[in-house]
This record gives sequence, C-alpha cells and structure tokens, in this order.
Amino acid sequence: MKFKQAFHRLFGSNKQKPAYPQNGMQADKSEMMQKMLTMLSNTQDVELTCDEVFAVLDQFAELAAQGEDVTGLMPLVQHHLDMCADCWDEYKVLESIIQNVA
Amino acid sequence: MDKRTNEEWIADLRAGGDQQAQALEDLRAIILRGLPYAIAGRIAPNSPQSEALVEEIVQETLMRVLEYLDTFEGRSQFTTWAHKIAVRAALTELRRVRWREVPLPEMGMDEEGDASYRELPDRQASPEDQVDRKDMMKRINRIIMEELTEKQRKALMAVAMQGFPLEEAAQRMGMNRNALYKLMHDARLRLKKRMEKEGLTPQQVLSVFEQVGK
Ligand SMILES: [Zn+2]
Repeated sequence: MKFKQAFHRLFGSNKQKPAYPQNGMQADKSEMMQKMLTMLSNTQDVELTCDEVFAVLDQFAELAAQGEDVTGLMPLVQHHLDMCADCWDEYKVLESIIQNVA
Repeated sequence: MDKRTNEEWIADLRAGGDQQAQALEDLRAIILRGLPYAIAGRIAPNSPQSEALVEEIVQETLMRVLEYLDTFEGRSQFTTWAHKIAVRAALTELRRVRWREVPLPEMGMDEEGDASYRELPDRQASPEDQVDRKDMMKRINRIIMEELTEKQRKALMAVAMQGFPLEEAAQRMGMNRNALYKLMHDARLRLKKRMEKEGLTPQQVLSVFEQVGK
C-alpha cells in the first residue's frame, strides 16, 4: 500500500491536466520514466552549473562556429548543454546569431 | 560600425560622455540584429507584443553589459559576449511570457490506489512485460521516495519529466536557475548511486520500458 501511495505522489494521475505548451500533450507515465532514466544514465559525478556554462558560452559558440572540436576541448560544457534545455536553447540562438549576423 | 576591436569597445564604453553614448548606440544596433533569432518561433515577430519586448530586452542588455563589463575576459569577440547577454535576457523573458499560466505539476494530490496503472496505454505489451514494468516502476518509485527530498522530487517531476524550463520552475520554487540545476544534479546522482547499490543500471531499467509498445 505504501508503494502505491508513493507512486501516486510522484506519478499520480493528474486530474486537471494543464496544457503544456511544449508539445501540447502530457507525456504518459512510462514516457516520463524513460526521460528520467535517460537523464540518470547520462548523469556524471562532476557537472558544470548553468552559471559556469554561461560564463564561457560565447567562447564555446565561437569555437564551434569555427569548426573546432568543442566536445573534445570543452567536454563539460557540451555535457551541460546536453543535459540542460534552458542552456541548450540559449546556445542554439547564439549559434545562429554568430552564423548570420557576425 | 562594429569595426571596433575588443579593447576599443571596452575603452569607449568606459569613457562616458559622447564616446560612450555612441558606443551604446552602435551596440544597440548590433543587439537588434541578433534578437530576431531569439524571437523566431517563440512569439510572432512584428507584433506589438514583440516590439515592446524587444525594447525591454535591449535596455536590459545594455544595462547588464555596462554592469558586467569588468568580467569580460576577451575570450571571444566583444559583440558575441554582448549577444550572449541579450540572448539570456530574451529567452528568460520569452519563457516567462509563455509559461506564466502553467502551474508547476502538483504531487501527492490523490491516493486512489491502482488506477494509474490501468490508465497506462496497453499497446501491444504482453502481460509479462506489463508486470515487469509495474514492478520496476514501483521499485524505482520507492527509491525516489527514499532518496530524494520533496523539493528534489518536485523539481525532477517538473523539469526532467514534464519539460518545464529550469528557470521557470526555479522561480516558482523560490530559487535561481543555477541553484535548481545543482539540486537536480544532486538528486540524479543520489538516484543513480542508489540504483547501482541495488544492482540496477539506468540502461537496464530503461530496457524494461523500451520493450513495451515499441
Ligand atoms: Zn543550464
């Protein structure tokens, strides 16, 4: 019984499903579980935070635009971008500005 | 117009007077050329809403550029650094606009037993697969309940599972984005280590879910 309650506290069936603008539908529970497990399998002991990535994002983006191997040069930045949608979105915008405006 | 070297940008922006005003005006024009790439696909460009937003973002960016000028280390073009600040300001604002009506997912609202399992789509899963998956979910869920704080569970649910922007979730939880990333990293590490202790790898658990319905 405890398990069920615990399950519900986490994956409880939302009666009032809010409209998530991201994709218009809420992922079902096994999809959410898969997302979380994927994140877990990509989790590293040492990860940079958003602020640490922001501090070098301009440099990272320029190197990437020059065709440098940024994954090899700045693997922790690349990893954070793979884990963090907020930073990833900001990186992609900066990348397109460098490509089109600079 | 943007032919200044990094050193010239810094010198002009520090100069004060007309020299600084001119540099700010030029920087403003440069930022304005970049902002459409932040707005594209997020709100309708050329709408009155977007015009007001752009002005707000430019103002904020110029203020921050002056405020953080001393932190610029010259490891990129100065203009790239300024664009970075503009992009952060823009996406922060656009996320706020887009998500402001959406509440953080609530947890612990209902205690109605087994219903959520029956809600799961059956797809073509064999009964054995379904049992495996239920057992695994229970097991993972127990680990989550035992290892994580309520704050960590809430964050994981909102961000990792439901795609809530980190920054928006953080703001609602009364913390900043950086702190929330750290909190979630800590949560992920705890879960991963506990699973390892129980002889489970994320990949192995994932395979139980991937078999089903694929
Ligand atoms: Zn981040």
